[in-house]
Amino acid sequence: MIDVLTPLALAETVDLLTSPSDITGVLIEGLAKGSLYLMIAVGLTLIFGLMDVINFAHGAFTMYGAYIAGVAVLALGVGSMGFVGALGTFFIIMIAVFVLLAVLGVIFEVTLIRKLYEYPPIFMILLTFGITITMEELMRMIVEFRDINSGQWDIGWDAPRQSSLPSELGGTTEIGFVNFTGLQLMQISMGVAVLAGIWAFLNKTRYGLFVRAGVEDEEMARALGIDINRTFTAVFAVGSGLAGMAGVMLMWDPLWDVNVPLALAVLLPAFVIVIVGGLGSFKGTVVASFLVGLIDALGTWAFQTGVIQFTDIDQLMIFAILVVMLILRPRGLFGVKGQGDHG
Amino acid sequence: MSAETQQVDSGRFPSWIGQYLRDHLLLAVIVVLFAVYPFLYDFLTGQFGLTAQMILPRTRTMLTILALGLFAMSFDFISGYTGYLSFGHAAFFGIGAYLVLLGHNGQLPVVPAETSFMLLLLIGALIAVVAAFLIGLISFRLSGVYFAMITLGIAEMMYVASNNWAFLTPGESDPTEGVAAGSPSEIGFFEPALGVPFVESLQVEIGPFGDEEIFGIAVGDPQIVSYLMIGAVVLLCYLTMKRIIHSPFGRVMIAIRENEERAKAIGYNVFYYKMGAFMISAFFGAVAGALFVGYEGAIDPENSFFFLVTGFALVAAIIGGLGTLAGPFFGYIFLEGVEEFLSREGGGGGLQPFLEQNLPGAILDTDILGLTINEALSAFMTGHGDFYAGIIFIIFVLYVPIGMLGTLRNRYGTDSLAKYVSAGVEKRLSSSDGETPATGDD
Repeated sequence: MIDVLTPLALAETVDLLTSPSDITGVLIEGLAKGSLYLMIAVGLTLIFGLMDVINFAHGAFTMYGAYIAGVAVLALGVGSMGFVGALGTFFIIMIAVFVLLAVLGVIFEVTLIRKLYEYPPIFMILLTFGITITMEELMRMIVEFRDINSGQWDIGWDAPRQSSLPSELGGTTEIGFVNFTGLQLMQISMGVAVLAGIWAFLNKTRYGLFVRAGVEDEEMARALGIDINRTFTAVFAVGSGLAGMAGVMLMWDPLWDVNVPLALAVLLPAFVIVIVGGLGSFKGTVVASFLVGLIDALGTWAFQTGVIQFTDIDQLMIFAILVVMLILRPRGLFGVKGQGDHG
Repeated sequence: MSAETQQVDSGRFPSWIGQYLRDHLLLAVIVVLFAVYPFLYDFLTGQFGLTAQMILPRTRTMLTILALGLFAMSFDFISGYTGYLSFGHAAFFGIGAYLVLLGHNGQLPVVPAETSFMLLLLIGALIAVVAAFLIGLISFRLSGVYFAMITLGIAEMMYVASNNWAFLTPGESDPTEGVAAGSPSEIGFFEPALGVPFVESLQVEIGPFGDEEIFGIAVGDPQIVSYLMIGAVVLLCYLTMKRIIHSPFGRVMIAIRENEERAKAIGYNVFYYKMGAFMISAFFGAVAGALFVGYEGAIDPENSFFFLVTGFALVAAIIGGLGTLAGPFFGYIFLEGVEEFLSREGGGGGLQPFLEQNLPGAILDTDILGLTINEALSAFMTGHGDFYAGIIFIIFVLYVPIGMLGTLRNRYGTDSLAKYVSAGVEKRLSSSDGETPATGDD
């Protein structure tokens, strides 16, 4: 299938190993991608860990976040604000999207998902799958109807990025032999911030304690007077909000297209990460995100330098990781049989 | 046919045929209804015009339903009966579909170009069986969500490959656009013929430009000929799968679903049974793919290997009833029927043209929030069938989790396996916790 290992490949691979700027380039790109993946997948992990819900609608939330951010960026005229103003507005939009999608998550949890907790877990997959079909098609209607991106729902909408991404973020900085873009730096710092935030939420807050207790032993937590149902709602809201936030980040990243198929394009790698890390394990998700990010970056590098001439090599490799991991360690990196863990 | 059912008894055929038909009167009636459907559709649309067009799915839609319905049944065969959710089932559909076209275009090793359709169909199905064997070898070490995800991962790899692999489309065309029959121009016409392999006289050519008669009986329209022939193959596949389900092998499959540990403890080697079931369902999944391209003459990755192909088989299986075999087929009809009713695709009927013609112009031109009702109708009721499908699906999952056929069999079925199966599903649903879930009327 990959019939195109040209003689060039060897020389290029040696180049990668000997050229420090290539190595750091791939590393930084991998970290940036890993941070994005972390933002996408962490909500999925939280929801699964506590509620045993495999949330197929997660990607749709990300897609909604990206579209809302795109519309907001264009409507507010972020492009003409200057660097600090643009960045500030961007973060405000991000918080607004978080809140909006968290509210949407609460609505879904209370009206639909709550009814199925007693059913076998497969029904949760079915329900959220139904939600994602409906949400995607609704967005398609809106895109066609409101003439967003000239009504093209399956082609990337890059007008918001082109008009609003500050040149400070788009340009490349060079320190010694290390090349990086401002955007990569921002993505990595966002990833670290989300990581720290979730860690603090789980380990330092009272609600985080409830969540961990619920994961550990739901019935015992109930017996001790913790309102698990409300904790479920809260965690679903946080997970949905995080998915939306990731969408806002993707809006600025040139490697991702803002379109309706984004929902699935995001969902499938997120599943891979969550499963490779071990279902429900926060630690595992963090490790798997960066692992997948690095491999993705390596694949992209291999394609760009012409080692492999296969357009979607990164996607192919992501699913290959899933298959190989499930063969080697069927429960993922940090998965535990039965319940997931947070640590 | 029910009149014929009585005649059969009179000795021209072995008596078991008569007995079988009497036992399966309902099945026979449904089959006859399906067989006369295209003629009925033509008659009714001729008689009642737009009203009939609005309600009934077109023959063209029914053709697609036949192939995809068979796929949904093959999905149910593994997922509904052994409880292993095969989330990458689209892989087998894709293998069946692609193999027919690649074989016809002469791109396969060993197989010469323009090999007959029946042969390619069988080769594709056998390759799917081999693929299922390999996939099962690694996947059946896992269960539950992990099994679903590893099959999904493998199918997605195939999807990515089919999107990028230049081998599939020689020449300059883009693999994402799909493969069409006869794409290198020296290849002859794609003339798929269904029937008995190697016997020319027992085959009927299907496709939009196929035969107009079946074994000498003039039907008139190639579309109807294709419908009847594909329908016959689907019926054959259904009966085969049903036979397997009702055999001891099938009972072990159900035992695996109900309690795998116990099945193992009794002494069954569950791994063999799971593999066997998976391979059988892959076979029929690939046949469905081949039948699909048999009429379409082209396929693209989006319609074959893509995750949503499995997704909609799952939707159909839930609506019709998981673990009822025929249920997913009827689920597909229901789904497509509703989609076509609520959203116009291409030149199809549905509610929108009906309203457009029958509502007075004053209402159509009423302005709400800057757009007329007419514009709103065409915006929300053209090509957005999936939206309504999603809503219907959610309603079914919440309120009718055992599906249409499951409910029917539960209520009206005799003391049969089907009843036992549906009751089992329901019992599992309600017994997993003390509280009784709100399952509506069942």
